[in-house]
Amino acid sequence: MRESESEDIRIGVFVCHCGLNIAGVVDVEEVTEYAKSLPNVVFATHNRYTCSDPGQEEIRKAIKEHKLNRVVIAACSPRMHEFTFRRTVSEAGLNPYLLEMANIREHCSWCHPSRPKEATEKAKDLVKMAVAKARLLRPLEPIEVPVTNKALVLGGGIAGISAALDLAEMGFKVYLVEKKESIGGHMAQLDKTFPTLDCSICIEGPKMVDAARHPNIEIIAYADLLSVEGYIGNFKVRIRKNPRYVIEENCTGCGECRDVCPIEYPNEWDMNLGVRKAISVPFDQAVPLVYTINRDYCIECYKCVEACGERQAIDFSQQPEEIELEVGAIIVATGYDIYLPEEENIYGYGKYSNVITSLEFERLILAAGPTGGHVIRASDGERPRVVAFIQCVGSRDINKYPYCSGFCCMYTLKHAIQLKEHYGDDIEVYIFYMDIRSNFKGYEEFYARAREMGVNFIRGRVSKITETPEKNLIIHAEDTLLGEPIELEAEMVVLATAAIPAKGADEVARLLNITRGSDGFFMESHPKLKPIDTPVDGIFLAGACQGPKDIPYSVSQGSGAAARAATILSKPSVKIEPIIAVVDPEKCRNVRVKCGICASKCPYGAIVVEKGKPAEVRAAMCHGCGTCVAECPADAITQMHFTDAQIFAQIRAALEENPERKILGFCCNWCSYAGADLAGTSRYEYPPNLRIIRVMCSGRVDRDFVLEAFRRGAGMVLIGACHLPYDCHYIDGNWKMTERMKALAKMLQKLGLTPERFRVEYISAAEGVKFANVIREMAEKLEEIGEERIKAENAKLKPILDRMLSRKGM
Amino acid sequence: MVMKLLRTETDEHLKVSRTLYTRSYLLILDKKRCIRCEICRAACPKEAIEIIQPTRVEGERLSHASISIDEKKCSFCGICSTICPVGAIKLIIDGEERSPVIDKGSFPELIRRVEIDTSKCPRNCIECQEACPFDLIKVEWNGDSVRIDVDLDHCPGCRLCETKCPENAITVKRIFSGRIRIDWSKCPDGCRDCVDVCPIPGVLEVSDDGRVGVNDYFCIYCGACRVVCPVEDALLLERTVIAHAPVQSGAWNSALERLTSTRGLIKELMSKRMGRALESVMRRLS
Repeated sequence: MRESESEDIRIGVFVCHCGLNIAGVVDVEEVTEYAKSLPNVVFATHNRYTCSDPGQEEIRKAIKEHKLNRVVIAACSPRMHEFTFRRTVSEAGLNPYLLEMANIREHCSWCHPSRPKEATEKAKDLVKMAVAKARLLRPLEPIEVPVTNKALVLGGGIAGISAALDLAEMGFKVYLVEKKESIGGHMAQLDKTFPTLDCSICIEGPKMVDAARHPNIEIIAYADLLSVEGYIGNFKVRIRKNPRYVIEENCTGCGECRDVCPIEYPNEWDMNLGVRKAISVPFDQAVPLVYTINRDYCIECYKCVEACGERQAIDFSQQPEEIELEVGAIIVATGYDIYLPEEENIYGYGKYSNVITSLEFERLILAAGPTGGHVIRASDGERPRVVAFIQCVGSRDINKYPYCSGFCCMYTLKHAIQLKEHYGDDIEVYIFYMDIRSNFKGYEEFYARAREMGVNFIRGRVSKITETPEKNLIIHAEDTLLGEPIELEAEMVVLATAAIPAKGADEVARLLNITRGSDGFFMESHPKLKPIDTPVDGIFLAGACQGPKDIPYSVSQGSGAAARAATILSKPSVKIEPIIAVVDPEKCRNVRVKCGICASKCPYGAIVVEKGKPAEVRAAMCHGCGTCVAECPADAITQMHFTDAQIFAQIRAALEENPERKILGFCCNWCSYAGADLAGTSRYEYPPNLRIIRVMCSGRVDRDFVLEAFRRGAGMVLIGACHLPYDCHYIDGNWKMTERMKALAKMLQKLGLTPERFRVEYISAAEGVKFANVIREMAEKLEEIGEERIKAENAKLKPILDRMLSRKGM
Repeated sequence: MVMKLLRTETDEHLKVSRTLYTRSYLLILDKKRCIRCEICRAACPKEAIEIIQPTRVEGERLSHASISIDEKKCSFCGICSTICPVGAIKLIIDGEERSPVIDKGSFPELIRRVEIDTSKCPRNCIECQEACPFDLIKVEWNGDSVRIDVDLDHCPGCRLCETKCPENAITVKRIFSGRIRIDWSKCPDGCRDCVDVCPIPGVLEVSDDGRVGVNDYFCIYCGACRVVCPVEDALLLERTVIAHAPVQSGAWNSALERLTSTRGLIKELMSKRMGRALESVMRRLS
């Protein structure tokens, strides 16, 4: 092609064993030998760990020795190590964008372990595709953008507070946005903390005050996140501050208004065990200490206005206020919720009044709680003499929440010890558990302490609970250590219910374009090496929003996230990937006729179209999805690093041999490609006839790619995208693709293509299982349709497709 | 334990409750006492009370409207229990009858006053007891001495007892004062819905010419008639004054405006201001 004519292409191929991860299935030597046979490949080798120091050194050496000007690394997913290897080649003086990776681990050896021969064939194809693309790679320079050195922390629990304080101490301005009236999070609801039994609010309170007083921290409480735009270093965030009907600057927090207010409503902070006034603070240590009127309950008698008097802090006409913030990094610390097994009436919760959750128990035993720290029964106000705790309610339950909520064992031990400390031998405490999980410092000793104090541990799952006329509870369980069923009458039952994703986590995920795992918690970029990062550069995770965490873990992660954010904020500028769209002014139709399709399809408004002039892409605003490239009727737009020529080369390489037996997949980087990676990481096996081409967004998938694939005889074509309606990393690229492909599918069907041969699927980064299932299904269907029919259909299609693609000069 | 919001209804009561671990609220509407008027609905600041129209059956006497209370909207403030002219609503908090709005001075108590000069009572007369449409008066003769008990909490002040008393021994203070008028030109032919539902005998009557006549001396301006009137503006009812203990409260002002009219509210605010001015002058003079 035109691009490569001027230089002599010298490609080096490096095949990685990854220990036995790849070499245990794929014959790496055979792949290496095969690579040597490919045009323009002047060097090929294999090594045990390409990403290790010696492995990288070998690449650098080879580049110099063999004058390599393109490098192909057949190893793990580019989502894992592309960054590493780009640095490696640039250290050897090569432009980092002259590197291409073939994913022969996640997409090959890990998902085809029982078919080594076919896996090796697939690996060869993947290398061939990578080499084909590498031949057409062009050097690119990263785009440098300035950084706003302020941070946004979403969520004012202990993780968010820790992150905000650390960043503020480093000298960065921090906006700490909290949905509720006060910061503090769940920790502020707790009585004592394990294993030291120190008072929770006594240790968190000073931190909350520190955050409020810190000159670099601005707390924006009682606020909602409306929208987030922009990219690393340059986020624009809109926040809505909800009206408290109390003017923050004037409120002294004296509480005189509360005393005169006639109206009470359930206090959510107390898990609705007690009440608060219609004008009040949720708890005495609230930060900011500003009263709030709940207009849902207020009867507007204005007694509070009278009591407030000259301070004039009350303003019934207050309106929601929208604020726009500009920040360089965002830390998400939105926390978790506690599962309330109300609807299902699990263990009689919601039906029997003396069955409560652990968080409710926490409010009961807390001295500042609604009962003044007295553990009493709801039915008669008496202190229970026999209390039973039931573990893993909802957690570790495949029908509900399969994961372990992590901290329940420890807080139940704490509750048991607290009861024993308060009442000694006057109380019997039973704990029904599956396993006691007490790893981490001081936890096992705490468990020992509970046993020494006489807490009874019964290993076994509770089957059901019934109520006696005295409102006592009969627990039916199996003692798996004794191997026999048991019955126990308790006067109070406390359920350790699962920690679940916070309400509204889906909305936060949508606004920030970050992914959630199958458990609903936010997903980290890499479970081992990037546990704090999200797939979106510049957005980090802290605390239990990523998965249940106890206090020390949340604090550490908060500090970790602060450090990660500081790596961006401390620099005057960041480099962003130059994979943007570029318009060829000579080809652009807009010069001759009114067009502007690209501008109308761009999700970011990054394209400017003026009458009679070629369209123009504003580089800093372009996010590099490639939707405009696919939409341009004149093929005048090119996406750097994902050019038409490069992708066509990959298609042809993939379908050179036995095309009718293959499934060609176009997968978007953020969801489907990551889903395929997860299928590999989780070792879900599927048939090896899939060949994946990575695009940044499904919006990039041109109709012509599909046509070319069928012209080359592909058995099936799959387009993998993010879920509709909101999951797309580029706002709505998946919608544009959907519209485009619906029309195309109809046309292909009319031309005689079996509809099942062209498929669009929406698979998230968390859906490894779904990915494997889709491929299995497609492979079965492929088998069912049969090679003969496919060949016949393709032969019929070819002349039509030839004609359609001829305008591309193909 | 989950907070419970419940509504239960029997032939006798409508109960709305909010039960928390450490506190319980129970609002009871005594359906035997309730006269299906519009007072509670108009006074409720949360629009939690709804009056459901009775279904009309041709040729039959109109049955009563029914009252529904939305447990999700109720603030358990005690305004309805305070304002109900016949005392049909009770608010019980933690087992005790209470009205938070009265405790905090956010709403006034109604002034209910029936004064009886028993020295004037003719021997063995029980006219007042028989006159009371709500059976609130108990007259006990013991030889020459008489003891008369009036259940004031449920008395709407209709003055039937006052007029029936042969010796003018009774003075009743009205709770609501106002005007009521019927525009016959708008009345549908043969309609007597308002007459059927009026809780005070003799206030509304159908005269010989088929028109509904009003005797507003006994009218308590409860609006039960307006609730069921099928035609707009056929029944003109306006409350002007409500007898209540002194209070300063936004909740009362807006309830007053809804129960009377903006003019009624302004009038009360003006007189309050006059009263205050008078007070300060008096203070200075003395």
